[in-house]
Amino acid sequence: MTAPAASTDVVTLRDLDEPGRVPALVAFVSAVAWLLVGSLLGLVASLKFNFPDWWTGWAPATFGRVRAAHLNAMIYGWASLAMLGISVWLVPRLVHAPLRWPRVATGGIVFWNGAILVGVLALLAGWTDGLEWLEFPRSVVDPMLIVAGGMVGVTLLGTVLGGRARHLYVSVWYVAAAFVWFPIIFVTGNLPVFRGVESAAVNWFYAHNALGFWLTAIGLGAVYYFIPKVLGRPIYSYQLSLLGFWTLAFFYALNGMHHLIGGPLPTWMITTSIVASVLMVIPVAAVAVNHHMSMVGRFASLRYSPTLRFVVLGAVAYTAVSLQGIFTAFREVNRITHFTHWTIAHSHVGVYAFVTFVMFGSVYYVIPRLVGRDWPDGRLIAWHFWLALGGIGAFVLALNLGGVLQGLALMDPQVPFQASVEAAAPWLAVRSLAGVVLTAAHLVFAWHLWKVLRRAPTVGPLPPWHDPRPVVVPPPGPWS
Amino acid sequence: MLVSSAVVVSVGLLLGAIGLGAFIWAFWVGAFESLDEQARCILDERDLRMRRPWETPGQARERRRLYGGPLEPGPGEWGGALGRGGR
Amino acid sequence: MTRIWALLLGATAAMTFALVVLVAIPRVQLRTLEPDPQVPPYTATQLAGRRIYVSEGCVYCHSQQVRDPSFTYDTLRGWGRPSVPTDYSWDTPHLLGTMRTGPDLINVGSRLPDRSWHLLHLYQPRAVVPWSIMPAFPYLFEVKPAAADGDVVVVPPSPYALPGRVVVARPGALALVDYLLSLDRTKPPVATPAAGAAP
Ligand code: HEC
Ligand code: HEM
Ligand code: HEM
Repeated sequence: MTAPAASTDVVTLRDLDEPGRVPALVAFVSAVAWLLVGSLLGLVASLKFNFPDWWTGWAPATFGRVRAAHLNAMIYGWASLAMLGISVWLVPRLVHAPLRWPRVATGGIVFWNGAILVGVLALLAGWTDGLEWLEFPRSVVDPMLIVAGGMVGVTLLGTVLGGRARHLYVSVWYVAAAFVWFPIIFVTGNLPVFRGVESAAVNWFYAHNALGFWLTAIGLGAVYYFIPKVLGRPIYSYQLSLLGFWTLAFFYALNGMHHLIGGPLPTWMITTSIVASVLMVIPVAAVAVNHHMSMVGRFASLRYSPTLRFVVLGAVAYTAVSLQGIFTAFREVNRITHFTHWTIAHSHVGVYAFVTFVMFGSVYYVIPRLVGRDWPDGRLIAWHFWLALGGIGAFVLALNLGGVLQGLALMDPQVPFQASVEAAAPWLAVRSLAGVVLTAAHLVFAWHLWKVLRRAPTVGPLPPWHDPRPVVVPPPGPWS
Repeated sequence: MLVSSAVVVSVGLLLGAIGLGAFIWAFWVGAFESLDEQARCILDERDLRMRRPWETPGQARERRRLYGGPLEPGPGEWGGALGRGGR
Repeated sequence: MTRIWALLLGATAAMTFALVVLVAIPRVQLRTLEPDPQVPPYTATQLAGRRIYVSEGCVYCHSQQVRDPSFTYDTLRGWGRPSVPTDYSWDTPHLLGTMRTGPDLINVGSRLPDRSWHLLHLYQPRAVVPWSIMPAFPYLFEVKPAAADGDVVVVPPSPYALPGRVVVARPGALALVDYLLSLDRTKPPVATPAAGAAP
């Protein structure tokens, strides 16, 4: 571990960031647009539980269509586009090589947007494949997504393969692997050859892996980058990151059937997934310990860095959602919670408090580096943060509680079904209020983004991170 | 049934072998060497020298001792609007 | 850059391994399954109704599976016997569902065999079940001054009645109800080697 040959690297951070600037900006801005669309759809879906006779005359506004549009706008619009943005920005930095074929990446991102637009409109028009998480029509939208994602994936994998870094940082593993995993699962999930229970198994094989190998992979890749980068010290234990990555790869992929516990599948499949769910303790603990130990003694940074505030909270939520998920995978628990709003609460801890928060933090870090100026107003960031935190907190607590009450009522054959509906009702009202708060948070965020994009270029010296400065591999220090 | 099980078992073994091969290969080409350097490859000199307002005096001293005189953070350095209501 | 190849290969191996376990092996196992003659293929109308069930997203509130009685009380709710793979031989897409905001529907045709009940319930659930939070689906119906020959008329009670006009089911609503009435998996399954709680 002698002093590394720093002088061989003569690229500057600016050289690395520049080619990815346009695709990253396009991805982030369109992602935020989808966030607003998805919020509106989520809010409408939520209100439908409270006011079942509201806006029933127009088919596209019926709950079943709006809910599918919400899921797909959020997962494939907001989250996936933000993840594409962070990927094209991050990978060049990690492998010390500028983005290959940036125009192809931009084209892919634009085309992806087109696919989502067609898909969401199709869902509202009632044209759906009917499989949860795979609702987009497989004859039109899914091939578009494969082409669009493929265009971005090719540029990223091309960049990685032509990389000049002497080392592959852990974030590269997660991001590069995600772009191999996603096409495999997406194509499998959309094969039109399955029916009956087999179709259910493939459906949940896909949906679970979309969470584990797409959202989680890129989310964790971003966490692994931002915590050490902002703190200016390496991650606590690199060995733990290795362990976390490979155990995640092998265990998570076997988790899918825990969405069908008690269902009409061969029991061994479900048992396999429950066992694999419990084994997930290993990667989750490895990641949690690693991130926590990296933060120890420096939690005050959360007061100064909006990025860390969102990212660290997201990392905590990752641990929380995983532990909740493991708990939920036990038959004794699942028999109560399976068909209830407990699952919706768990979903949003994962896709919101983890993935969405990490993406918020990433956007706050990356945008100033893309446009060459700072965010104009710290108070707006504070508003965004507290509204989002309060909103998701209320959302999750209400639905966890409501879900358990609903589940206990469903589990008691002496009480009529009505009791389960009435047990959940007040908590569904709280969820709608939380949805209003979350939508407000997203509006603040979008407005701030608009402001930073619109603002005239900074006069005077460019921010220091714009200086052409060689990227050097620093000497090892005592904080390893 | 026998034939299909045999196929599945052999495919499983093959995949296991590929996974094991990938691991041994990765070991061979040094993926598990110099982990400390790997962990540091995202940090450049600026990251290490920059003054961080949240660090305790001891932590700041240690940083100075290791990496030299502090550099001042720029606007937007840590994700937005520092010092303008950004706390 | 050999390391990146090792990484990508390992990642692919992990995923392919899971594909074999959770997709390929089940395919081999379930292929031997013969459809249960008591669960005939859907008729054309039932399939059309099923498509409406899919496009209107009924699956987001209704499951179509009765879980194993060894650890749930689904059967005691009168929702039918535990479901087996042959109950779904003709189902594509599957509609097992993950939510029970409303009751399980896999046997709703045997539990509620009345077509006019279903039509009224779809037109306005609260006309039959006052505490319901199920959405109304008025757009599956047509409101006209008078019924024509062959129209299936729905008569909502007050306060949902529309004086001077009649509510007529559109073909979509009729097909959907046809599908709902076909949902009856109450007969004990004809045993096939891999059916039921396989190993
Ligand atoms: C927002 C959730 C929701 C949606 C969407 C929904 N339902 Fe329901 N459904 C319920 C609830 C709650 C009940 C129980 C109260 C009642 O009977 O109305 C119910 C009851 C039913 C029943 C009576 C079951 C019984 O055992 O009493 C049928 C049949 C039914 N729904 C069919 C449908 C169909 C068909 C669709 C799609 C066109 C649909 N539902 C969409 C919530 C929903
Ligand atoms: C070790 C980790 C995890 C385990 C064991 C786990 C377990 C589970 C289980 C058992 C369910 C099914 C609940 C039911 O239907 O009864 C579920 C649903 C879900 N989980 Fe997780 N979970 C984990 C991590 C995550 C993460 C990290 C995310 C988000 C990124 C997430 C998002 C979801 C979503 C969205 C659903 C709902 C799927 C649907 O019904 O549409 N989970 N999880
Ligand atoms: C404005 C904030 C939001 C509101 C009000 C909201 C509301 C809702 C509602 C009402 C549902 C349907 C629940 C049901 O079927 O019972 C839902 C489901 C879902 N939402 Fe959201 N949501 C919000 C934000 C998000 C975000 C940001 C994401 C993703 C990044 C997301 C992803 C999902 C997913 C994956 C599901 C399906 C859950 C499942 O099947 O278990 N939501 N949401």
